[in-house]
Amino acid sequence: MANLILDPRDQRFVLYEMLNVEELCKAPLYADFSRDMFDMALNEAEKFAASAIFPALAEGDREGCRLEAGNVFVPKCYHRCMQIYREGGWGTMSVSPETGGQGFPHVISVAAKEWFSHNTAFVNYVSLTEGAAHLVEVYGTEVQKKKYLPKMHASEWGGTMALTEAGAGTDVGNLKTKAIRQPDGTFRLQGTKIFITAGDSDLMENIIHPVLARIEGDPPGTGGISIFLVPKYLINDDGTPGKRNDFTIGSLEEKMGLHGSATCTINLGDNGECCAELLGEERQGMKIMFQMMNGARIGVGIQSLSSASIAYLHALQYAKERLQGSSLMEMKNPAAPRVSIIQHPDVRRMLIWMKAHTEGFRALLYFAALCADRCLATDDEAEKDKYNGFLEVLTPICKAYCSDMGFRVTETAIQVYGGYGYCAEYPVEQFLRDEKIASIYEGTNGIQALDLVGRKLGLKKGMYFMNLLGEMGLTIAKYQPALPDLAPDVQAAMNILAETAMLFAASGKAGKFLIPVANAYPFLMLMGQVVTAWLLLWEAGVAKEKLAAPDGGGADKLFYEGKVATARYFIKHVLPEVDAAAKAIKSEDVSMMEIADEAFAS
Amino acid sequence: MNIVACVKQVPDTEAQIKVKPDGSGIEEGGIKWVMNPYDEFGVEEALRLKEKNGGEVTIVSVGPQRAMETIRTALAMGADKGIHICDPAFDGADAYVTASALAAAIKAVPFDIVFCGQRAIDDDSAQVGAVLAELLGIPQVTVVTKFEFTDGAVKVIRPIEGAQLLIECPLPCVVTAQKGLNEPRYASLPGIMKAKKKPVEVKDAAVLGVSTEGKAKVARFVPPPARAAGKIICGDGTPEGKAAELAKLLREEAKVI
Repeated sequence: MANLILDPRDQRFVLYEMLNVEELCKAPLYADFSRDMFDMALNEAEKFAASAIFPALAEGDREGCRLEAGNVFVPKCYHRCMQIYREGGWGTMSVSPETGGQGFPHVISVAAKEWFSHNTAFVNYVSLTEGAAHLVEVYGTEVQKKKYLPKMHASEWGGTMALTEAGAGTDVGNLKTKAIRQPDGTFRLQGTKIFITAGDSDLMENIIHPVLARIEGDPPGTGGISIFLVPKYLINDDGTPGKRNDFTIGSLEEKMGLHGSATCTINLGDNGECCAELLGEERQGMKIMFQMMNGARIGVGIQSLSSASIAYLHALQYAKERLQGSSLMEMKNPAAPRVSIIQHPDVRRMLIWMKAHTEGFRALLYFAALCADRCLATDDEAEKDKYNGFLEVLTPICKAYCSDMGFRVTETAIQVYGGYGYCAEYPVEQFLRDEKIASIYEGTNGIQALDLVGRKLGLKKGMYFMNLLGEMGLTIAKYQPALPDLAPDVQAAMNILAETAMLFAASGKAGKFLIPVANAYPFLMLMGQVVTAWLLLWEAGVAKEKLAAPDGGGADKLFYEGKVATARYFIKHVLPEVDAAAKAIKSEDVSMMEIADEAFAS
Repeated sequence: MNIVACVKQVPDTEAQIKVKPDGSGIEEGGIKWVMNPYDEFGVEEALRLKEKNGGEVTIVSVGPQRAMETIRTALAMGADKGIHICDPAFDGADAYVTASALAAAIKAVPFDIVFCGQRAIDDDSAQVGAVLAELLGIPQVTVVTKFEFTDGAVKVIRPIEGAQLLIECPLPCVVTAQKGLNEPRYASLPGIMKAKKKPVEVKDAAVLGVSTEGKAKVARFVPPPARAAGKIICGDGTPEGKAAELAKLLREEAKVI
């Protein structure tokens, strides 16, 4: 393999051998596509990633962003990435052709983004633009669409997501930014937003900020929030950027990682002239913003997959090259030759653990994207609902399970490198620093767990969740004959998942709502492990079929054997953690609530 | 202007090449195939010439079915149409046969200029462009690092040891591209969408009317010898001693002085 970003063989395996994404091309929506076009796009993504985005990773980290005279300057190397991104049309890969995009299936654009997202500091500028453009596409008036969309789709103008305030992070409903109604129907905003990713940059000619604010007189809480479009430069009648709008970039945060991503404080309307246009209807701001949030949560999953993948492949390469210690078989012979550390059992344990998680994330995120495509590609309402249900239930898993475990994969990569991994001279410590934010932004993982337990499990009276269990059951039954030593373990874990969900439902009815709330996060991680085991079992089943073919897997024999071994490792060594988590939850112990605040420390 | 660019599909520069046990070729399983990097420079220059002067770029390639991917990539970069010379009889064709096939295909279409890579990175023969020009009976300028087209003539720079040649050449001619000529563009997504609808003609040896009998025969493939361990020259520890030992080894062991 030529690069250390991701394994293209595994990417193709998941897309074509496991998920059969070519099937999508039978639907009228994707009839213009074929596998060779998907491959060509992914080859270009690989070339772009290897020759521009990856080289900009360390350089962007060292250089960071500067705020000078109110303007943000990004690392110089990002400009070339931006130019190639723009010229390649990557910003509209899965935007519909009617709206000016290329109309690729989401699953292929997720696969392309996996090539880019190891450099999330750069990718943030373009992915937020795409999310904001999608809001305008869905909720904007015809005038707004005409004014903003072509430039945003061309990645010439940027976009952000301006929610957070000092007193309103997780608790968005508490926001203080106010919108003052003008006689002409527009608004003037006043307030301060913080932590605004890509809040300003010299990559784009203009930036269109979707901003949450409360119209004067509207009720408190999330129900009173509206969303506005606030351009950095007001748009002239001829469509060109004109006068600078009345807001300023107060400061940039100094962060642990993502140094190339500008995290801005934005002061809106110091002179009372911050012009804003309502997007959608009044007091619908949260609902509208959530559409962007859901996409962004999948985006965080992709970031985590990419971080895990690049960390794993670096650790693997290092373990093959680094000589240290002798073979276990020659422990007592001081003259025994040094061996590469991949020969040591504990290093192999770390590597297969990283491999299993990384490949599990990949299968999960591609599966989720395929659900979105299947939902779009069919006219059958029942099928639409089924795939939409999978996506709803899996979104918090994609975001939270992948980000928390992805972080641990980056940490394990440092462990494989040993002392050198802790040194900035080697690349792995940056992977960890850049990945940490993934469990925090776009809704902390604690919030994701509450979303899963409090909302997603109960959707359609639990039908979406039950459908997902049903889908898992089908896979298990299908591969039971080929994998008789693994399928029953996954079935047992799935049963525990179902029982724990039932326990939550029963606890809620019995008024013991602290059980599901205080255990929401362990439940999410438990479910993440069961889902990963299901997907890896599926992969192993496919691999077994290939190995059973007359050519015995041909040139890919070792690859397929690796898939089976990886699934076995995960199911035998990681999946049993589900039992422990379920035992803890079932104990109905709520000591975290019972301990007095003052008792946490004297 | 009718511009032709010849491309060859080759293993990725970073692919791990394994020779088949019987020495008849290389193991193709698991290899990633790409456009020969020198040909990419040729395609890029062809596209720039078209963008400046108008006209059409035709891609021509000799290769098995998979070579179609490389033609489509060039079309996705912006070329207009393709000719795929595909015939099992051309498998393992030598430079002469390849150039004959290209020449036959190119003669059948209008052309003012033909771009090739200066060599392919797989067999490194660096002959096809030159033979092609001879077969077409037109001038050639090879290993070009700068290309200009003004007043109906081609002006190129060709580096030579310690200097560079500035060569002028009339049309039609063959130009072979060297690294440094340009930075090839990436295929864009809209380009990929359009490429599918662009015409590619497939031709075999019979249609072209060329002989598949080569001038060269491959005896067998052998991997390059594994690199031998290096030698550290210690001498008696002094710079003079080390130099003396180095000179002795160069004369007696390496036999180069």
